Amino acid sequence: MEWNLVLPELIVAGTGLGVLLLDLFLTGGGRGRRAVGYTGLAGLAAALAAALRLMPAAGRGELAGPFWQGMVVGDQFAVLFKVLFLAVGLVVLMLAVDFVERRRIPAGEFTALVLFAVLGMMLMGGSRDLIVIYLGLETTAVASYVLAGLLRDDVRSGEAAIKYFLTGALASAVILFGMSLVFGGLGSTSLPNASALAEGFAGAGPSAATAVASPLLLAVGLVLLVAGFGFKVAVVPFHFWAPDAYEGAPTPVTAFFSVGPKAAAFAVMLRVFGPFLTMVPVTGVEGKAFALLPSLFAVLAVLTMTVGNLVALVQRNIKRMLAYSSVAHAGYILVGLAVATPRGLAAVVYYLLAYAAMNLGAFAVVIWLNNRGTGDEVDDYVGLSQRAPLAAAALLAAFVSLIGIPPTAGFFGKFYLFMAAVEANMAWLAVLMVVNTAISVGYYYAVVRNMYLQPEAERGARAAGQLPATPLVGTALGATVVAVLALGLLFEPLARLAGLACGGL
Amino acid sequence: MSGFPYLTLMTFVPLAGTILILLLPRDRVETIKRVAALFSLVPLVLAFAVWAQWDQALPRAYGMVLLEHAEWIPSLGISYTMGTDGLSFPLVFLTALLTFLAVVASWHMISHRQKDFFALLLLLETGMMGVFLALDYVVFYVFWELVLVPMYFLIGIWGGPRREYAAIKFFIYTLVGSVVMLVGILALYFGTGAETFNMMEIAAAAESRIPARTQLWIFLALYLGFAVKVPVFPFHTWLPDAHVEAPTPISVVLAAILLKMGTYGFLRISYPTLPDAAKHFVVMFAALGLVNIIYGALTAMAQKDLKKLVAYSSISHMGFVLLGLAAGTPLAVAGAMYMNISHGLISGMLFLMVGAIYDRTHTREIPALRGLYVTVPVIATVLAFTAFANLGLPGLAGFIAEFFVLAGTFPVSVTWVAMAVVGMLVVAGFNLWMMQRILMGEPKQEYAGLPDARPIELFTYVPVVALILVLGVAPGVLMRFLNGPALEIVQRLGGM
Repeated sequence: MEWNLVLPELIVAGTGLGVLLLDLFLTGGGRGRRAVGYTGLAGLAAALAAALRLMPAAGRGELAGPFWQGMVVGDQFAVLFKVLFLAVGLVVLMLAVDFVERRRIPAGEFTALVLFAVLGMMLMGGSRDLIVIYLGLETTAVASYVLAGLLRDDVRSGEAAIKYFLTGALASAVILFGMSLVFGGLGSTSLPNASALAEGFAGAGPSAATAVASPLLLAVGLVLLVAGFGFKVAVVPFHFWAPDAYEGAPTPVTAFFSVGPKAAAFAVMLRVFGPFLTMVPVTGVEGKAFALLPSLFAVLAVLTMTVGNLVALVQRNIKRMLAYSSVAHAGYILVGLAVATPRGLAAVVYYLLAYAAMNLGAFAVVIWLNNRGTGDEVDDYVGLSQRAPLAAAALLAAFVSLIGIPPTAGFFGKFYLFMAAVEANMAWLAVLMVVNTAISVGYYYAVVRNMYLQPEAERGARAAGQLPATPLVGTALGATVVAVLALGLLFEPLARLAGLACGGL
Repeated sequence: MSGFPYLTLMTFVPLAGTILILLLPRDRVETIKRVAALFSLVPLVLAFAVWAQWDQALPRAYGMVLLEHAEWIPSLGISYTMGTDGLSFPLVFLTALLTFLAVVASWHMISHRQKDFFALLLLLETGMMGVFLALDYVVFYVFWELVLVPMYFLIGIWGGPRREYAAIKFFIYTLVGSVVMLVGILALYFGTGAETFNMMEIAAAAESRIPARTQLWIFLALYLGFAVKVPVFPFHTWLPDAHVEAPTPISVVLAAILLKMGTYGFLRISYPTLPDAAKHFVVMFAALGLVNIIYGALTAMAQKDLKKLVAYSSISHMGFVLLGLAAGTPLAVAGAMYMNISHGLISGMLFLMVGAIYDRTHTREIPALRGLYVTVPVIATVLAFTAFANLGLPGLAGFIAEFFVLAGTFPVSVTWVAMAVVGMLVVAGFNLWMMQRILMGEPKQEYAGLPDARPIELFTYVPVVALILVLGVAPGVLMRFLNGPALEIVQRLGGM
């Protein structure tokens, strides 16, 4: 059972190493290098199958028990996020194969790094132990720094990598320091679930290990973790690296950054903060300190969505625009943490699923067009509905979902967050989300207007001599668009799953 | 009337048409038009079928019929529940009729990107039908928002010179209104604690379970969503822009049906669910209704653009709906509902006429038009007929609605009636003045020899003209639907 549980990780790690090895033996550039991409895809698909196979057992709670001294857990939450990360990795690799070839990115390194980053994300979601979480975090982060800089002939790519690296290293240091304080406070590197935490605070735990040693250290540590993870998910005011990194990185990597590591960081945040947020309020000075945690998230949520949306309004580059849009969406997601109820946490999980589908859908169109010679400026999208009606329709679907219009996944994500906020008597937070939603229409609209309302300009927007493209990008694009609709119509089972997953936190 | 899914079919057959049209090649324009006509005709036929069986279906004149129910998200109490009653069915019929006529009217009027146009128009019909038929708040909201996207494109692609501005303004106004409404809906859901989004169950529980003060806030949140659509002053500024820029068939749909979504929201949701709050805001309703009536009429008087004139005339007439609701007597509420339908027919017809004139003269400027009685006698006559209906000439539908509202308001407040009558005088004034300026006088030289109404145009005029006449002389045709729901609302308000 234990080995079954980590089978997806083993497959991904094995494939990553295999890809590096295979790359050594492949001679010549170009099409021959595609084999590594396909190998990576096969590995991720196999790992995804293995992870899906764990779902029923995880649902029955058979995998919850601590394995390897609690280094690995297999609860519903862990398995759900593993599936999400593997799906994201799969889509990103599908989007990348043509792009990597066209832009002369070393295919072996690229594929292996994506696989290692996915591996790190899976470790982050699949452990209760601070050390393993940190290992996963760093694995993802180091792979990401390199991925951002893989366009070696593009100075912006280098800039992206450096910025990402410097802020990422700082964030890691802050997180590590915060973790050490949390360890001091808890007396253990193992994160408690909600009931163990309550016992720990009451000092009535079955063993001394579960008693909270120092609430003060714990509180300070948690605040540091908020800041550190704030960097990782680009929460205002820790967001400034994101637009440069997103704009400079190769577009499939940008797509990956905007959903993968971000979702993983949110998964850890749920794991770490969830028990504190839903815990029965503790009395005393320390109790008051913990009660401030939701307010902290509320402030960050409002700041993040407002700044993200306002700054997105003035962007002319679609990657940059999507970067700020992704900052804004992190703000929406934080609302789920701010309301600090089980429904709020479940809404975060559902929103992450929806967000992954719709944001990857939007990036899939950007990549698809880029492969065909369209630039990344918003003005390059003029007349797209005439030139590429299907791509335009797919981008429209993604944007409709990002705005939050039914019957798409994005609507149900916002709906669930609204619901959690109103239920927790924080309707004001929902109203601020409404205002932000209205602001966000502005920048999505600018693209939609160019695509549909502007006639195609008199210029050769299409570059001559395109490479023959594989159907991979089209397939990924179709899959994400279907997911955007299906996640909405399948709200019931998914919300139930999200609720179950968060129930074990 | 057994389990035949009339309502689901009425709602989703147009969507099937949209999908089919999207699959057709772009250059098969004739086929696309035929498919659009066919798929918008089906709901109309179904609506006639329901109408024919109405009396067996609803002998008591109360409650919902043709209920359809399927679980969707049981853990949150969201279900696909559809049903109709005397309040919604006339609106459903109006939707089916006018969308079909809009498709026919677009036949020659839309000259580019026909495939996209007809696909979106049918999608719009699905949204509108769903709004009137859904009995679950979430399903209702989904359809409510579904209307936004096709409307945005219909104005933004096929509209006039300032179409982009008009389209995005429409979109943002209604989006903000409706999302605030969503927060209100959620507050209702949690306030009642009924674990269901079913409108009827929430209406039954809301008053007793939600604190009075909270009810007021919820009422205002819902109000914002509906008021933007109606539109109630001061949320009305999107309407003249949208109307002026929209292509004629879309103006028809916008005026005839979309505005009614707002008043329908008041009638279906705000009043029955939160009657105490409704009573609390009676003065606001009446005052804003009167502002709508008088301000709309005066502004219409000042317009040089025919379409703007009709748009402001709509604002004025929607004021009567608000006034009738504020009065809260059975007659006034029934009059408000009557106004929904009669205004739908009359304003839709007016936009068709403006479109016909613009088609021929390429101008909507009133000063540029003269002597149309001589150049296009048939169109001019139909326009005169519609304008008379618009100003409330006895014997035509508009008169009955206004009369009911005023007669029902009289026992409540003579002042309100007096102020509304001032507005009516202005309405009569601008209609007559408009007719005098464009229909009479010496015909302009350059407009000589313009073709008069084509058969296909007459085909779109005849049913609407006939209905305006019928509803003007035989109000019972419509009142048998409206009596029950009007009484229900008044009872909820604690009147009678």
